[in-house]
Amino acid sequence: MSLTDADLVARVLLDDDHHAFSELVRRHQSAVRGLLRQLTRTDAALADDLSQDAFLKAFKNIRSFRGEAKFSTWLYRIAYNCFREDARKRKELVGIDEARLEAEHDPHTVDPALRQDLMHALTLLPLHERTAVLLCCQNGLSHDEAARVLDIPLGTVKTNVLRGREKLKKTLAAWENN
Amino acid sequence: MEEQLQQDWLDAKLRDEAPYLDDAGFTARVMHQLPARRQTRSVRGAIMCAVTLLACVVAYFASGGGAFLGESAAFLVAMPIATVCALAGFCALLVMVLGTAAAMRTSRKRR
Repeated sequence: MSLTDADLVARVLLDDDHHAFSELVRRHQSAVRGLLRQLTRTDAALADDLSQDAFLKAFKNIRSFRGEAKFSTWLYRIAYNCFREDARKRKELVGIDEARLEAEHDPHTVDPALRQDLMHALTLLPLHERTAVLLCCQNGLSHDEAARVLDIPLGTVKTNVLRGREKLKKTLAAWENN
Repeated sequence: MEEQLQQDWLDAKLRDEAPYLDDAGFTARVMHQLPARRQTRSVRGAIMCAVTLLACVVAYFASGGGAFLGESAAFLVAMPIATVCALAGFCALLVMVLGTAAAMRTSRKRR
């Protein structure tokens, strides 16, 4: 019988069990790296660096995991904070402008080879909507859990998911018509 | 109804199209960067046992070959039976309270 995440966390806490933590990393690496790849607009190298950072922070702060939420929800929150921290630093260094990036990713100027690709359509959404859609629709978090991860009100999450879904549908429909 | 179906379709497609990312050494890289392990419990236990044993040996010789043990036994035998019972009850209660506290602490950690 395989151990649950909670069992593995308990082993890390009680015995500093590195093997148990490596099992947690193995279980969640794809979801965390996938989420960060989408948040970083498919910059795989940066996403992997941030994922590594997130897992290391999770290990160092595992005592703060109280088990009130799922381990994955707690991990997503750390990953999202790593992304935000990095984005803030980058913005300070090179002046990344989310609005400009969004303008560059206009659905009408997309390479035809990438059309019909839902994952690419996701990268066209503004960051707050993309994050909410990824967490709720792709990773299966409830609105409440997503609100905890993003540290924003529940109503805002619901609105972002709704708007994100609408935009995705419109983008896909527009590509189909072209 | 159609709206709901479209939403479900979109959610299902999003889940299906999310690629599973192969580990490709990612876990190993993370594990390589973790801080070194704390002393394991078994090592700690062995150290504590050794120190306790050493302390017992030192106490035995320091007390003149453990003469105090015989004196204490004689003292206990000379005590009234009610006092011995009360003392035993108090010791049992103390062990029970400390054991319960330790068990509660461990279960809280596990949760």
